[in-house]
Amino acid sequence: MKIRRKHIINIREADLLIEKYYDGLTSVEEERQLQKFMTQQDLPERFEADKSIFGYFDQKKHKPSFRIYPILRWVAGAAVILTAVFSLHLFMNTQPSNYACIDGKKTTDILKIKSTALASLSEISSTANEVDEGFKNINNLELMEQQLNVFSESDN
Amino acid sequence: MYKKENDMRSIKMYVFIALLVAFGITPALKAQNDLQINRVFELYGNKQGAVMVELTDEMLEGYDFSLFKSITIQNNLPAADFIRKCLQKDQIGAKKVKQVVANGIITSVYLQLPRKGKLFRLILFNESIKPSQKITLIYIESKNDSEEVLKLILKKK
Repeated sequence: MKIRRKHIINIREADLLIEKYYDGLTSVEEERQLQKFMTQQDLPERFEADKSIFGYFDQKKHKPSFRIYPILRWVAGAAVILTAVFSLHLFMNTQPSNYACIDGKKTTDILKIKSTALASLSEISSTANEVDEGFKNINNLELMEQQLNVFSESDN
Repeated sequence: MYKKENDMRSIKMYVFIALLVAFGITPALKAQNDLQINRVFELYGNKQGAVMVELTDEMLEGYDFSLFKSITIQNNLPAADFIRKCLQKDQIGAKKVKQVVANGIITSVYLQLPRKGKLFRLILFNESIKPSQKITLIYIESKNDSEEVLKLILKKK
């Protein structure tokens, strides 16, 4: 089996082939090589005229390429990011977020959850009231008297 | 050819950013994630002797909470110490509404945390010894002013 190597000709070879081309003596393979050579970037200026000829052929050969315009690219990017965030948000919200765990056992019974929640809230409020009541019950004068008595007792 | 490669590269970049957003930023959207007490719920929530509740966007007898999380733990002194340590860290930058200290140990504390976005946040902690040791830790997120929420909680008995 013969392996065909993709060879891009150099400037000297190209000059020779261009001359041959205008004389109508080039083979199909040589024309293909010339076309390939002309589609290269940064060719010397003297090839401009030839390039337009071969460029024309090259353009005809090319299939319309897949292209995203810069604005569209940003829109596509934003859409991808938004979709990811939105789907994750949805995913997080679909997790059962109303539950109670009693001694390691999970329940999603909303009535039970609410009553357990209220029980823990009342635990806080009742303690707060107990503290307040405690402060109210302390009679400052009585307390001072008691404290002073300690010293009078120690004197005796 | 070059253009196509370039387009592919930018598509890959967007997918990468999307994944970064999805796995990096989104979990941080939960307002309680920056708090140490979150560890308490994780560690003790499923244990024996513990009752944990999580309620999201539910009306609870007049309370309008965006999130309500509570845990009550019975007869567990190490848990109480662990919670106090967590609270020490969480109280940085928070307003201490009320604190009860008995024998040098914090037995009750109400913290108004800095707002996170539109959410007001509260931490309520209480440890009672009699008749048996019982710890109650509550974390609340609400769109209503935390001072109002607190007033409402303390008013109801």
